[in-house]
Amino acid sequence: MGVSKLKKAELYYHKSVHDEVAAVLQESGSCQIIASDEINNTPKNFDTGLNTVEEHVAEVRYLIRTLTPHYVDPVPSLDRMLGERPEVTMSELENLAAQTDLKKLCDDVRNAEREAGEVKTSLTQSRNNLEILGKLEFFNYPLSVITEGTKTVKGVIGTVKLENLDGLKGALGDFSKYAKDSELFLADFDSKKPPREICAGVIYSTDFEREILELASKNGLSFIDVPQEFKAAPQEESEKLQASIAELETKEKDLAARIKSLADQNMPAIQKLSDYYNSMLGRSQEMANSYGTESTMFTQFWIPVSETEKFSEKINAIGSDIELVFNDPAPDEEPPTLLKNGGLVRPFNILTELYSPPVYRGIDPTPLLAPFFWLFFGMCLGDAGYAVVMAGTIWYVFRKYKKIPCGIKDFIKLFAFCSVSTFLYGVVSGSFFGNFIDSFVPVLVPLKNSLMLVDPMTNPMQVLGISLLLGVIHLMFGLLIAAFDKLRSGDFIDAVGNDLSWFMFIVGLCLLGTAMNGMLPSHFFDIGRAMAIIGAVIIFLYAGKGKPGIFNKIISGFLALYGSTSYLGDILSYSRLLALGFGSAVIGMVINLLGGLAADIPYIGWIIGIVVIIGGHIFSILINILGAFVHPLRLQYVEFFGKFYTGGGSIFTPLKLSQEYVTVKA
Amino acid sequence: MEFLGLSLALFGAALAAALSGIGSAMGIGIAGGSAAGVMTEDPDKFGSCLILQALPGTQGIYGLLIAFFVLNKLGLLGGAGAVALNWNQGLQIFASCLPIAIVGWISAIWQGRTSAASIQMISKKPEAMGKAIILPAMVETYAVLALLTSILMLMGVQVG
Repeated sequence: MGVSKLKKAELYYHKSVHDEVAAVLQESGSCQIIASDEINNTPKNFDTGLNTVEEHVAEVRYLIRTLTPHYVDPVPSLDRMLGERPEVTMSELENLAAQTDLKKLCDDVRNAEREAGEVKTSLTQSRNNLEILGKLEFFNYPLSVITEGTKTVKGVIGTVKLENLDGLKGALGDFSKYAKDSELFLADFDSKKPPREICAGVIYSTDFEREILELASKNGLSFIDVPQEFKAAPQEESEKLQASIAELETKEKDLAARIKSLADQNMPAIQKLSDYYNSMLGRSQEMANSYGTESTMFTQFWIPVSETEKFSEKINAIGSDIELVFNDPAPDEEPPTLLKNGGLVRPFNILTELYSPPVYRGIDPTPLLAPFFWLFFGMCLGDAGYAVVMAGTIWYVFRKYKKIPCGIKDFIKLFAFCSVSTFLYGVVSGSFFGNFIDSFVPVLVPLKNSLMLVDPMTNPMQVLGISLLLGVIHLMFGLLIAAFDKLRSGDFIDAVGNDLSWFMFIVGLCLLGTAMNGMLPSHFFDIGRAMAIIGAVIIFLYAGKGKPGIFNKIISGFLALYGSTSYLGDILSYSRLLALGFGSAVIGMVINLLGGLAADIPYIGWIIGIVVIIGGHIFSILINILGAFVHPLRLQYVEFFGKFYTGGGSIFTPLKLSQEYVTVKA
Repeated sequence: MEFLGLSLALFGAALAAALSGIGSAMGIGIAGGSAAGVMTEDPDKFGSCLILQALPGTQGIYGLLIAFFVLNKLGLLGGAGAVALNWNQGLQIFASCLPIAIVGWISAIWQGRTSAASIQMISKKPEAMGKAIILPAMVETYAVLALLTSILMLMGVQVG
């Protein structure tokens, strides 16, 4: 239990076995290589291999990013996360890497992608042009008149708002000044449903080009830019364009099929290589922390004591050019933290790591918080039915996936454990899918009632009392741990003044209060009063310690006693245990009520009712699990840890193989 | 004036559900904007972003819970018919709804802002998920306390 003991290993080896040594370090998965500034500032006189590996990693990343949208993975990513990955050996991966020409593959994919991009651009352009041509159909002359013109004649096409049409006709029509030198064409339109604007074209003599264009634009003709490549009549151009669009579309399909087949053929290998090259990248980066002379290498790393023997065996199998020394960490060294809680406590490690792991020589709070978190989670979710659903889901997942990676397995187990406390609290508080039993299965009501110990619905004060009492126990436990920690390091005065004094003061007040209410025999009243007074005096005196002058001592003493309000706040914070448990019970009740109301609808009511009840409870389970996880966690982090724990360690992160897509067998 | 009590009580229930619902909608909206921004860069963060975005949603549920509590107390759910209520009792129920209505409304908005900040945090440091969840939960404490106050007040009001 607690923090694993680590050894600092020093490894000297000949340069020729560098790769083998690196492989053993990485594949053992239990060595964290130490980076030292001193070594990193000396120039490296060995090849780290980083450049080549980085290149390959970039290629693999490019391929995965580009091909994933075109690839239907036979293993869904959820399954992969839960450990359903193909198994390969390291030598298989090495062979695959040697055989695969990633650079060529990248070029192929890049070319296909570029062509697809080009085709897409020309398709968009052609479709736009087709739209323009559609508007020009009224114009029955070759479009070269507009795009090129002849020596004497040229034309423009544009749109004109309906209200400006008469003006335009007046300026350039049959009776205008330029009637002989220009001709105005207008698109037909439905006079019953006139559009806002119509298309119009003008053909004119180049002699008057400037005047006519000016007149046209003054009268509301806004010119359309006709693409230069159009020469023939709109009808003909439009047919040509449609043919080329059809061609481009087949080309687009072919390219998509080409990329798809590239993805289908290569993705399994690319995924494996992704893991391989990422492993190599990690290896090269970490091994770059070694120190090299002309022919010798030197690497330092942390290793858990329990792994040292296995590791020595493996490393000595490489050959005789290796010297391995294990040392205990020096007092001024700060090794990383590896939590070593086994069995039932192990899943709770995650909670400590989420906050901040303890320093190497500090207290591991995991076993201390585990029972409280377990209980609080149960009280917040507090429903036997929800617990059954949770446990059933977890059972199904564990049955279906046999190879779940450790971290995820622990996290799921945490919820499996908590479903037990949820079930127990659900039974004693009489909650099964809210008030499902009372609403729909009255036969079971006597059984439910006989198992009930508390009833938050009719007597919430009782559960509030229990919640606050648990809060006091939790906080006092925290104070005792703080005192123990200080005593361990010989800080007797701090332990008494800072922690034990508050412990006595608050426990004393609680005894005093409960005895006054008659909940405890009357002699507890005196004990409580004595404890509270002694505690208060110590707090008062301790706060004045080191303050100059009697006046300052008194002020800081009273200020310290005023700190009891923060304890009051801490204790009241535990009322959330009642509120959240109550909340999930009432949400359940509301769902059952709505389901019952829906069931009263004739004929199809029962279907709606069942849908409402099942859907509603699934929603309720999800939202309440979130609440039941977050709030008890807060009670650990803020109220409990606030008394004794600051964390501040760094997690032990050994050099490992990257196993996102495959599992590497030994 | 026969139904003044009933009307006051219903007014309270309406405020509890409506105000805290507004707050949650705003809070989730604020957090959602932040989440969408992070996900454009890194779509894999959808799971953690969704959890953080959901956190300010509980106030709306608390408000709904109190509203149902009131409706149930008034006998308006199921076919039993409303209980008789004088204006005094109605006002008491109205008052009981105020804590969750007001605190639910405002705390959800602030919780949404904290969630949004937390989402920004995990975009840079995904390993800080634990801390990122706790910060918005600190704000929610006061909504939980308000819920508790409303529940205890409602249980104390005698009707019928």
